[in-house]
Amino acid sequence: MALRAALNRLKRSTFLAALALGAAAAGAADVKVGYIYVGPKSDYGYNYAMDQGRMWVEKNVPGVKTMSFENVPENAEVERVMERMIKSGCTIIFPTSYGYLDPALNVAKKYPKVIFEHAGGFKTAPNLGTFFAGIDDAMYLAGMTAGGMTKTHKLGFLAAHPIPQVLRNINAFTRGAQAVDPLATTTVIWTGTWSDPGKEAEAANSLVDAGADVLTGHVDSPITYTQAAEKRGVMVVGYHADASKFAPKGWLVGAAWNWGPMMGRIIKSVGDGTWKPEHIRGDLKAGDAELTAFGPSVPQKVKDMVLAKEKEFKAGATQLWSGPIVKQDGAEAAPKGGMLAMASLESMDFLVKGVVGTVK
Amino acid sequence: MMSGFDAAAGNFLVSALRSSTPLLWVLLGEILTQRVAIVNLGVEGQMLVGALSGFAATLATGNPWLGLAAGVAAGMLLSTVHAGLTVGLKANPFASGLAVWMLGFGLSAFYGVPMVGQKITGFAPLPLGFLSGVPVLGPLSSQLTPTVVLAMLASPLAGWWLYRTKTGLAWRAVGESLVSARTLGLKTSLVQVLGILAGGAFSGFGGAALSVDYTRNWVEGMTAGRGLVAVGLVIVARWNPYLAVPAALLFGGAEALTLRMQTSGVPISSHLLHTLPYLASLAVLVISSRSANKEGGMPAGLSAVFSQSR
Repeated sequence: MALRAALNRLKRSTFLAALALGAAAAGAADVKVGYIYVGPKSDYGYNYAMDQGRMWVEKNVPGVKTMSFENVPENAEVERVMERMIKSGCTIIFPTSYGYLDPALNVAKKYPKVIFEHAGGFKTAPNLGTFFAGIDDAMYLAGMTAGGMTKTHKLGFLAAHPIPQVLRNINAFTRGAQAVDPLATTTVIWTGTWSDPGKEAEAANSLVDAGADVLTGHVDSPITYTQAAEKRGVMVVGYHADASKFAPKGWLVGAAWNWGPMMGRIIKSVGDGTWKPEHIRGDLKAGDAELTAFGPSVPQKVKDMVLAKEKEFKAGATQLWSGPIVKQDGAEAAPKGGMLAMASLESMDFLVKGVVGTVK
Repeated sequence: MMSGFDAAAGNFLVSALRSSTPLLWVLLGEILTQRVAIVNLGVEGQMLVGALSGFAATLATGNPWLGLAAGVAAGMLLSTVHAGLTVGLKANPFASGLAVWMLGFGLSAFYGVPMVGQKITGFAPLPLGFLSGVPVLGPLSSQLTPTVVLAMLASPLAGWWLYRTKTGLAWRAVGESLVSARTLGLKTSLVQVLGILAGGAFSGFGGAALSVDYTRNWVEGMTAGRGLVAVGLVIVARWNPYLAVPAALLFGGAEALTLRMQTSGVPISSHLLHTLPYLASLAVLVISSRSANKEGGMPAGLSAVFSQSR
C-alpha cells in the first residue's frame, strides 16, 4: 500500500533524526545492533518478547547500542530498513519475523561484513545465521498449572490458524493439563486471523459460556483475551510474555520467551570472532523459554508440582514428546516408549486426544 | 433453576448483540449518509480514528464516556474531508471515500503506536442485577454494556427522526432528488454535509464502542473490515434505520455462531465457518431483492450517483 510506504518513510525520518542525536552521544567503540519487528513492540506478544531481548542486551552487554524499528512489512520495505540501519552504523541485524528471511538474504549478499541473525529461518548464508527456541516445554508446564487449577475440567484455547507451531502449543498445553487432571479437555476456537480484537473478545466469551474456566491462546497479542477472561472472572494462562497486568486476579502463569541471553551470546561471538552461520536453537533447558511468575491464586502445592516437572525438563530426565501420544481419532502418533521425531514436530498436523476442535 | 437451553439461548443472544453493536452504529451512520444521496466508503477509516481517539481519551481521563465522546468527535472530524471533497468540490464519492479510509488507517496507525499495550478501565456492568433470576434475560443483563443498550435505542430513534420529523423529511427529499429539493427551497448542500457528518459521528462512536467497551484494547487496523461490511449491509437494511438492527444482528449473530459452533465440537472446517456471516447476508439480500421492489428502498438520488460514476 502506497500509504503504508509513505507512513514508514515518515517514521523513518523521525527515526533518522533520533539516530543522529544518538550517534553524537554514543562512544566510538560501541557496537551497533539493529532490531526489526513486523508488529508493534509493546503488544505483549511475539514482538514485545523480542524487544525485551533487545533491552536485556542494551542493559547487560557492555559496549552495545541498539536501535529498533517496528511495524515493518515483510516485503521490499524491510530491505530498505536494513540498508538504512547499515548506513547508520549497524554491524549486526536481527530481522525477527519469519517473512524477513528472503529479504535478509538479499541484503546479506550486498553487505558481506554485516552479520544477520534471522529468527526461525531454515536457510543460512556466509554472514547470515538463524536463532530460535522451542517453547513447548514451557507450554506443557503452563498446561499443568491450568490442569491443577480448573474446576470444570474444561480449558479454552483461542488460536489464529492451524499451523504446526500453533498445534504444538495446543498439544503441549493439553498434555500438561491431562498429566495433572486426566479429565481435562481443551476446546479450541480458530479465529482465522492473527489480529482481530473484536473476534478474540467474542471467542473468549464463547469459551467461557461453554464452561471453560481457564483460557489461553496463540494470536498476535494476548491483551484482548486476557482482559476478557478477567472480566468474566475466569483464569488465564499467558503466551509470549508476562501479561499479568491485564488480569491481576485471574492470571495463573505464562509460557514466555527469554531472548536476551541468547542474543547477548550471539553478539559477543561476533565480537570475539567465533560467530558462525548456523541454526542456533534453544529451549527451556537452555533458558531461552521460561515460565513467568505465578499469579496470586496459584497455591504452593500446584507451584511445587509444576516446578518439580520443570526441574525434570531442565535435567533432561523427561521428554515432552515421548509416547504414548494419541491423536484425536485414537490413532497412535508415537507408541509407548517411542518419541515423536523432530521433523514430525515441525510439521505437526494433528490434535491430541482430549482436544475439542478440528485442524481442517 | 434455569434450564441449559435458556442459558445457552441467553448467552447466544448476548454474544450476537455484542458482536453486532460496533457494526450497528456504523450501519446507522452510513444509512443516514446514503439517505442524502452520498456514499461514504471512508467509514472504515472513520471507525479507526474513532477507536483510537476513544481509547486514548479513556486512557487520559479514566472516563469511558469521554472516550465515546472523543470517538464521535474524531469520526466527525475525518468525515469533513469527505464532505469537502464530495459536496464542496463535487469529487467522485468512491475515490473520496477510499481516500478517507486510507487517511484514517494511516493516521490511526501512526498516532496509535504509543497506545499499544496500554490498559484502560472500561464501563462497569449495568445495574441490572434484579434480572439475574429471569431466564434468558438473566445472563443477558449481567453482560450488557452501555454501547449495546444505546445502539438498540439509537436505531428506532433514527428511524422515527427520518420518517416522522420535518427535518427527516427534508433529508429524504434531498436523497430522492437534489433538483426537486432545491425547488422546494431546501439548502441541499448543507443537508448533504450534515448527512456525512452524521455518518462520521456514528462510525466514530462504533469505533470507540469497539475499543473502549467491547475489547478495551487498541490495535492497528482493529476494525478489520467492519466499516466496509456496514456499507454492504445498508442494502440488506434497505436504507431503513428500523431494519438496521436485524441487518446488523444477521451478520453479528452469524459471526457469534461461527465461534460458538466451534466450542460445541461440531466437526466443520473453521475456514468454511468463517464464511458464514457473508453467506447469510448474501442469502438475505438475494431473497429480499426477489420479493421487494427493484431498488430495494434505495433513494432515487443515490442511483444517480451510481449511474454517474459508470
